[in-house]
Amino acid sequence: MSARAVILRIAALLLLVAFVTAPQLFAFAFAPLTANNAPAIYNQGSLLALTLSHLRIVVLATLASTILAVALGIFVTRPAGREFLPLSRSLVNIGQTFPPIAVLAIAVPLVGFGEKPTFIALFLYGLLPIFENTLAGLTEVSPRTLDAARGMGMNARQRLWQVELPLALPVILAGIRLSVIISLGTATIGSTVAAKGLGEVIIAGLQSNNVAFILQGGLVVALLAVLIHDGLGLAERAAARRLGRPLDEIA
Amino acid sequence: MIEIEHLSKRYGDTIVVDDVSFTVGEGEIAVVVGTSGAGKSTLLRMINRLVAPDAGRVLIDGQDTTTVPEDELRHRIGYVIQGYGLFPHRTVAENIGTVPRLLGWDRRRIAARVEELLDLFQLEPSEFAQKFPHQLSGGQQQRVGVARALAAKPALLLMDEPFGSLDPVIRGKAQDDLLTIQRRLGTTIVLVTHDMNEAFHLGDRIAVMDQARLLQYAKPADLLTHPAEAFVEQLVGTAERPFRLLSLVTVKDAMEPGSAEGEPIIVTATLRDALARLIWRGLPALPVADASGAPIGRISVDGILKHGRASLS
Repeated sequence: MSARAVILRIAALLLLVAFVTAPQLFAFAFAPLTANNAPAIYNQGSLLALTLSHLRIVVLATLASTILAVALGIFVTRPAGREFLPLSRSLVNIGQTFPPIAVLAIAVPLVGFGEKPTFIALFLYGLLPIFENTLAGLTEVSPRTLDAARGMGMNARQRLWQVELPLALPVILAGIRLSVIISLGTATIGSTVAAKGLGEVIIAGLQSNNVAFILQGGLVVALLAVLIHDGLGLAERAAARRLGRPLDEIA
Repeated sequence: MIEIEHLSKRYGDTIVVDDVSFTVGEGEIAVVVGTSGAGKSTLLRMINRLVAPDAGRVLIDGQDTTTVPEDELRHRIGYVIQGYGLFPHRTVAENIGTVPRLLGWDRRRIAARVEELLDLFQLEPSEFAQKFPHQLSGGQQQRVGVARALAAKPALLLMDEPFGSLDPVIRGKAQDDLLTIQRRLGTTIVLVTHDMNEAFHLGDRIAVMDQARLLQYAKPADLLTHPAEAFVEQLVGTAERPFRLLSLVTVKDAMEPGSAEGEPIIVTATLRDALARLIWRGLPALPVADASGAPIGRISVDGILKHGRASLS
């Protein structure tokens, strides 16, 4: 990353922190967007608390998707699990084809309002990228490398932990990154079923026809997405560097 | 000593290895040579049980390999494949230390062994230990591959086309280096190749395979003078035969007393090299020198030709 890009990221991070901790400082910028003396800054709760609970549910859901998707990816690439590959693929694909809003609609009667239905929707939605990338990462490991590993007397577990997973790691991380970014945006609709999150700000704005609110919610989510995207990108590059691969090979 | 007894393998209706038996003596290099698809690699992979034989068995120093757990067996057998299969995410030092680490050696012992091997393969430890495979040239990768296979001091080394991805110039040097190291360590080697020159250069004995069968297993000179089948004769190249024979004999065997003009040739050079030099220089004879450079006799075109004719009869 160039020095300019780094400065830009740091500036974005400072802006985000300043905005969620002391939003009133920015009232001047949002005031022109309001009408009829409506408040310029969201005033029905703390932006910081909403941001944190937004992040919390995204992290929890992605963590759960990662565990299941990676475990499934490993299982279907073992000799014992190979025949389950098509089945797992279709199941995970179904998770992706259901619109999250539909999942919410189905989940609310089952688990009630709040964070649970949102968690389920994000969890299902996040599986596909991680699962597909785990598969891609594991199947891309060169057969020659694996043959050498076997020929040197590594057992199946040693091959998985010492060769296959380290080699697949950058690709798996890319899947996790994709999943996190999707979830960050998708989590806003969780507020329709009373999950605490930045969606509340946007919905409040829509209900009271206050463009300033909508913009604030959207801005915080967007800044989060950009920063997390870049942060995870750095982690991927670090993993790829350990593979001894040239950096530009990992997009 | 490796005894291969009646090994067979079939995949479906195709017989890949058909009742192959031969014995490799302690410290010998056996080269398995044949066209592609002859079953050479499968045969090699049955020795360390990467492929399970349908029939037959392999004894290493009298011990049936099936009585040892697979992974344990492979820790004791070095394995080098074409392209080497180096771990791209591990440094040269970590790659070489793979088997010792699997065996649970302590760190200091592994580090010492890695350094010893890097020295042996003329790779400066301070320069190469922390490099990644992609930062190495083909020849360096090849050396790391062999060093890795030798790390836990195996008595047996299996090599599947180990020089296959090197260009011809480096290949000759790599073969010489392997011979030097093998002579020093006394490792028994079974090497698979489709390159007949490589087989004659390296092999103490050569096994010729075709269509899953072992046609002949013999010393290189016997293969030339007494080919068992037409295919063997064809494979060793009828026209090439005298030259190959000359390349198996050193100057020492055809040396005459006396002296000659010109740059001396070393006594350990092959007759083929000597003849080549004589033809190129247009000389009837060359002085012969020992390792210290002192003249000890001469070698002549007539002497070489006479030797060549004699060994064919």
